Amino acid sequence: MNADREVPNLFAPFQKRIKVAAFLISGAILILLLRLWGLQILEGERLLLLSINNRLRIRPVEAPRGLILDRNGKLMVENRASFDLYATPEDIPDIKETARRLAEILKVSPEELTQRLSQGQALPAQPALLRKGIDEQTVMAIEEQKIDLPGVGLRVRPVRAYPTGGAAATLLGYVTEVSHAQLESREFRDFRPGETMGQAGIERRYDAFIRGIDGGEQIEVDARGKVIRLVQRVEPRSGFNLYLTLDSRLQRIAEESFRSRSGALVAINPSSGEILAMVSKPSYDPNQFSQRMTPEQWRMLASDPKHPMQNRGLQGQYAPGSIFKLVTALAALEKGAIGPDTKFSCNGSFSLGSHLFHDWKKGGHGTLNLRQGIANSCNIYFYNTALKTGIEEIARVAGELGLGAPPGIGLGDEAKGVIPSAEARTRGPGGWYPGNTVMAGIGQGMITATPMQVLMMVSAIANGGTIYRPWVVRRVETLDRELIEEYGPEIVRKVNIDPDNLAIVREGMQAVVSEGTGGRARIPGLAVAGKSGTAQVVRNSGPLRGDHRDHAWFVAFAPADDPQIAVVVLAEHAGFGGSVAAPIAKSVLEAWFKLPKEPRTAQAVEPEPAEGD
Amino acid sequence: MLIDRRVLSAFSWRLAASAALLASLSAVVIYSTTGQYSSLLRRSLYFKQTMWGLIGVGAMILLCSLHYRTIARLAYQLYAAILACLLLVALIGRSGFGAQRWLSIGPFAFQPSEFMKLALIILLARYFEDHKEDLEAPWIFVLPIILTLLPVALVLRQPDLGTAIVLLATSISILVLMGLKIRYFIYLAVAASAVAPVLWSFLRDYQKNRFLVFFDPSLDPMGAGYHVAQSKIAVGSGGLVGKGWMAASQSQLNFLPASHTDFVFAGFAEQWGFIGSLALLLLYAYLISKGLRLARDARDMFTMVTSFGVVSMMALQVVINIGMVTGIMPVVGIPLPLLSYGGSSMVMNMLAVGLLLNIQMHRYMY
Repeated sequence: MNADREVPNLFAPFQKRIKVAAFLISGAILILLLRLWGLQILEGERLLLLSINNRLRIRPVEAPRGLILDRNGKLMVENRASFDLYATPEDIPDIKETARRLAEILKVSPEELTQRLSQGQALPAQPALLRKGIDEQTVMAIEEQKIDLPGVGLRVRPVRAYPTGGAAATLLGYVTEVSHAQLESREFRDFRPGETMGQAGIERRYDAFIRGIDGGEQIEVDARGKVIRLVQRVEPRSGFNLYLTLDSRLQRIAEESFRSRSGALVAINPSSGEILAMVSKPSYDPNQFSQRMTPEQWRMLASDPKHPMQNRGLQGQYAPGSIFKLVTALAALEKGAIGPDTKFSCNGSFSLGSHLFHDWKKGGHGTLNLRQGIANSCNIYFYNTALKTGIEEIARVAGELGLGAPPGIGLGDEAKGVIPSAEARTRGPGGWYPGNTVMAGIGQGMITATPMQVLMMVSAIANGGTIYRPWVVRRVETLDRELIEEYGPEIVRKVNIDPDNLAIVREGMQAVVSEGTGGRARIPGLAVAGKSGTAQVVRNSGPLRGDHRDHAWFVAFAPADDPQIAVVVLAEHAGFGGSVAAPIAKSVLEAWFKLPKEPRTAQAVEPEPAEGD
Repeated sequence: MLIDRRVLSAFSWRLAASAALLASLSAVVIYSTTGQYSSLLRRSLYFKQTMWGLIGVGAMILLCSLHYRTIARLAYQLYAAILACLLLVALIGRSGFGAQRWLSIGPFAFQPSEFMKLALIILLARYFEDHKEDLEAPWIFVLPIILTLLPVALVLRQPDLGTAIVLLATSISILVLMGLKIRYFIYLAVAASAVAPVLWSFLRDYQKNRFLVFFDPSLDPMGAGYHVAQSKIAVGSGGLVGKGWMAASQSQLNFLPASHTDFVFAGFAEQWGFIGSLALLLLYAYLISKGLRLARDARDMFTMVTSFGVVSMMALQVVINIGMVTGIMPVVGIPLPLLSYGGSSMVMNMLAVGLLLNIQMHRYMY
């Protein structure tokens, strides 16, 4: 530092810059003072008035949610205007008279209305919500009598509308206001009370895209709470539109072919994982959430023993029954336990130790090879096969094909089903016996799967061994059709199964339709491959007698050599898969190839003439 | 204590007293605006703030017992320690109000980013003290820029735009003082504005929108825009002499968000009007001018950069904060030094004043 003293003007340039800084800071402080002068002296009185009544209010302007369209651009979910009825009690000179007139229109008792309007007076003059979502007739009646209804007003709000009602309802989801419980959780801390959000399915999963950005108004109100000036308004920004992989025409046909049965149907493009249709029955009408819903209505819906709000395709876990024979067959081929020409004879029963296992057909099927075994869904054939293969390989192949793990569509809770993993086998009650293996070989016992899992499994068999993640949203676009997000096929994995073995099983599946249990899914001119299944329902305490009837499965794809669509049908408590579920699958397959395709989505070429039919 | 008589005689009582006065005002304003309509927790805030003020004054006096050369020697370690804390915050920090800023030590949660403001000033001061001979070489500025961007990036990630701005701007002011040509910044700005539209075009619409709301809250009338509208009413309704103590209806009735932290000035201005605001600004101006004089009269690089850095940091915070409360600057969440609620901020600002005191005391000692 001695050097500093020897050269006294070393700091001169710094001192100059410090002086500049001093000027800048003084200037900034001066600007602050001018601003304060402006606010406190020039505008002080006006702002004081504003503060006395605190007259500045904010009013949210709800953004319309994005539309949901099918793969061809057909509307599946839209918005409609809903009218809410408000009353400002302070503006009503004669509450009794107004209540009487209004009660007539709303068809409620005038006493109740009088009481509600009087209660409203205790609050500072704010319009009180009298009724949400009033119908068109009521709107007209109120508009007509407007002069006689001072202080009563209507406000328009966009609400969700599902033109197809209960179709694909559990997939599409529904919209409600955020609940109190949700508001308290971290996830929803950015939400304000009364804000709406998607509560299930696609509406929930893609809520951030669909919801849009609410606008708002800053309004100045007078002492009575009436708006005197709009200070600022920011327009709401409509949410993004979703384009689904679903084909609403196919969806409608699928829904109709299900008639009044309970169960699930999923149709998919097996070479991409695009979901084409998804039915879950019984369903509910999501439109009722857009209207005034009473707590009783909600309780009825939520506690319905038939679970209409459950998406059975993703959440329903059922014994796969004979469908699982495809897995057993593949496992046996993989292990080399059998070949395509291995024969077993079936006389209707099979004894293992002291147990006697039966075939579903009395008297048996006679001697069968693998193709015939699959075609006729012969239990005896697969008891033998399973026993020769062993549970380890069966469990491995089941896992390879996606059973025992959630399919990953990402919509709410996806069940993952149960496969007899090594862990499950050792933990199971009383250990694992050959008898368990025999039962597992035909898809009973400790095996469950969701219809979606079964469909993915069959898709992998159909496409030569690729597991695609199922997906349902193709594109996200703005109102002006600007692309936000685009989704495409996603390969989860290539299964570790010999493609030749998959081909053998495919051949067996074709035989199911052409000569076996799936004859009801036969379509002239189209090579359909399929497999039926009948899942025994084991229940200790079924509340209804009908509940003990078996579940009917049918899974199919077509054309067999170039699969463009795969479909799974599960009809709850409906009986035999081949007789109940197969016709439903057939009508969907048939419809798909008849539907005219948009050029950009056209994959359907002329179906090949069916082989061996 | 190891304070020499000569040193003590140079202790600036006025500077210390003005800092203490601001801290007591803080407790008073917080007491009056977190009033009877609030929760018990809020009502105890003034008490906590008083404690923090006392701790801050203690820390300030304690700092004076060290020679600033000791502080200069520890500059790198200090910086490294706080940077490590910032890293730790990023990893395990306690989050509050949607951002991860706090680090818990026992019952206390402290905000390393606040202390980084000071550590960065000291680090730069030490660096330029060490390299005062080479200031002509442009490469000399490379390391300081990197050492600035490191904490700025960590703080931005929290995300805490306000603190990042203060860190960056304070550092830039020091670099400019050290002779970094302003035209470099102009080049940088030109380069950035050339790249920005390209980057912008990559952003999605909704991302752009979020970005815009970040800088212009009036686009979001439900959130920050509403806050500013209310705080302008609070400030303006104070008029010439204010509504008087405890009569700040606007701030008391919870119309004002964060009435005790970033928007504390609104409650102050509502109660004491233009006269009070003028007095408050003069108090800050006094602190700032005192620091500027110290910088001007400095005989070594370390004290010059330190006092200038402290001044520049304080001035930035005062101007941006009051600008934001009165609606002429975007809402970025910068506290008002010594007045806003917050332990870390209070102690840090007291230490900053302590540095000025320290430098003043040891000026004539070599």
